[in-house]
Amino acid sequence: MPHLTLSALEKRYGAAAPAVASLNLKVAKGELLGLLGPSGCGKTTTLRMIGGLIPVTSGQIDVAGRDVTALPTHQRDMGIVFQNYALFPHMTVAENIAFGLEMRRTPRAEIKPRVQQALDLVRLPDLGHRKPRELSGGQQRRIALARALVIRPSILLLDEPLSNLDAKLREDMRTEIRDIQQRLGITTIFVTHDQVEALAMCDRIAVMRAGHLEQLGTPHEIYEQPATRFVADFVGRANQIAATRDADGTIRAGALVFRGPPGPPGQVTALIRPHRLGFAPAEGGNTAAGIITRVTYVGDLLACTVDCGGVSLTVEQPTLPGLPTPAVRDQVRISWRIEDTLVFPAE
Amino acid sequence: MKPRTALLLLLPALAINLVAFLAPMANLASYAFHGVSPSGAILPGLSLGTWAALFDDSFYAELILTSVLTSLGVTALTLLLAYPLALFVHRAGPRTKNLLMVACLSPLLISAVVRTYGWLVILGDHGVIYSVMHALGVEHPPKMVFNQTGVIIGLVQILMPYMILSLLAGFGRLDPAFEEAAASLGAPPWTVLRRVVLPLSLPGILLGFLLVFVLTVSSFITPKLLGGGRVFLLATEIYDQAIVTLNWPLAAALSLVTLAIFGVTLGLYGRLARAMEQA
Ligand SMILES: Nc1ncnc2c1ncn2[C@@H]1O[C@H](COP(=O)(O)OP(=O)(O)OP(=O)(O)O)[C@@H](O)[C@H]1O
Ligand SMILES: [Mg+2]
Repeated sequence: MPHLTLSALEKRYGAAAPAVASLNLKVAKGELLGLLGPSGCGKTTTLRMIGGLIPVTSGQIDVAGRDVTALPTHQRDMGIVFQNYALFPHMTVAENIAFGLEMRRTPRAEIKPRVQQALDLVRLPDLGHRKPRELSGGQQRRIALARALVIRPSILLLDEPLSNLDAKLREDMRTEIRDIQQRLGITTIFVTHDQVEALAMCDRIAVMRAGHLEQLGTPHEIYEQPATRFVADFVGRANQIAATRDADGTIRAGALVFRGPPGPPGQVTALIRPHRLGFAPAEGGNTAAGIITRVTYVGDLLACTVDCGGVSLTVEQPTLPGLPTPAVRDQVRISWRIEDTLVFPAE
Repeated sequence: MKPRTALLLLLPALAINLVAFLAPMANLASYAFHGVSPSGAILPGLSLGTWAALFDDSFYAELILTSVLTSLGVTALTLLLAYPLALFVHRAGPRTKNLLMVACLSPLLISAVVRTYGWLVILGDHGVIYSVMHALGVEHPPKMVFNQTGVIIGLVQILMPYMILSLLAGFGRLDPAFEEAAASLGAPPWTVLRRVVLPLSLPGILLGFLLVFVLTVSSFITPKLLGGGRVFLLATEIYDQAIVTLNWPLAAALSLVTLAIFGVTLGLYGRLARAMEQA
């Protein structure tokens, strides 16, 4: 039985198009589900409906088989980490963390050790006496997480908990959140607009677009078998080629001709991930001749833009010592596997 | 800016303050230490007679105490009524908020004198409230003007806009996200109010308390009219001594007492505000 079920969930603000519409989701106990999508697609709205912070327009929310749609937030037993932390400024860090325990009438003697445990969990054991304003942004985030976790909620809701952190801390926190979530086995909804974050952390990802669920799947499925062009484009980088497909599956874009998966003929958009393109010949794959027009070095990657008969393709290669570095105006042959060509009907 | 330029720029304000504020204050202080003839003429020699009378006559001790207590009561009542209103205004959307602000502050467009007369009509014998209570079968409706009750009702209504403004000014730290966070941690609405909203709005409460208390202590027209000469407060007594009895030294001494009350209030406010900043 799923732990959290959203059935035909809808939210309208006023008369405008719904911010979230006909959303169906089932989340298993202990699962970490990512809500991924561009800004304004309704992620926060969905999270706030689950948390009971805004009323639903229609639809139902069930937790462990019980309808909670009409339940006020304070009876839902959900830990929420807000995008702007929302740590109580008039309380110390320890008081902030103890607040939820006090609300649950935890005995005094038990509160102190549990607050300390929570502080240890987020690796800030010595900051209990500080005020939130005396903490850095990253520390505040972790305290907000500790405050939500200490009550051992049945569901944890995280709204972009890693935005505006520096890259290093972001990566540390990513693994940290994942570790804690796994250890405690808390069903978690993780809102993000960062696809790398979603791929790295989540058991499954729900990709949203303009209030609708576009695709639900494991990170692997979302990345390798995107259901729509939108998903393929939003998750990961891709070369986009406007082309036509013949009945036999041949795809033509100007002078560039290659093969892709079979499908109905007509106007299509072909997508190829830059790192699936290579300069080494591939057995039985697609090949194309071209001229390098730009080379960009980004440390671990070398991105070469290649002009193939009028179509511009970006090829990403890991930088390996000893490999000859391509240069602008080099004549090259690029190749890729047929399965790496993703084809969608043109929109 | 160079200190000398700054000093030069301050000079006009300094001059005005010297002439229009400090000089009269000095004058006031000197009156309090002179005797007075029955005709109202100030006697030339310095004397502590006024102060002696002030401390001897228990009427004045009582007057000061009633004034302070009435003012505290009025301030507390104003706060109680204004707080939910201010909270509502604070939470309203930007457009509703503007409308509500205008509605809250519009009483200030009408002079306090006019509003006080309005209250006389509403609260007076055979006024609206009296008639309604009478019609409902109350034999002898309580008197609501020319006594403490009338003064309190009038002052509370007249001072409410100031309280609302101060509260709103002090609600800066009150973000709905904190209330949502508290609710998500399991706090029912009343607990959210007590543990999160009230503590965070303390700066506004303190500011409003200070402002309305000071305004109540110094308010004169409303107690004068609604008190009907039967409610004795500092400001009305100062007026009576100065204009009716022509005892300027006593009026001056009472003014200095009022000033001292303000001084103590401000000192307390400063302390509490500082304590709150560190909290
Ligand atoms: N209180 C509101 N009143 C009216 N419209 C709103 C309100 N809150 C959100 N919306 C609209 O609903 C849509 C979804 O907003 P939401 O905040 O859920 O987006 P999001 O996916 O969280 O975006 P972001 O990544 O920028 O946080 C947007 O079009 C937004 O303008
Ligand atoms: Mg959002």
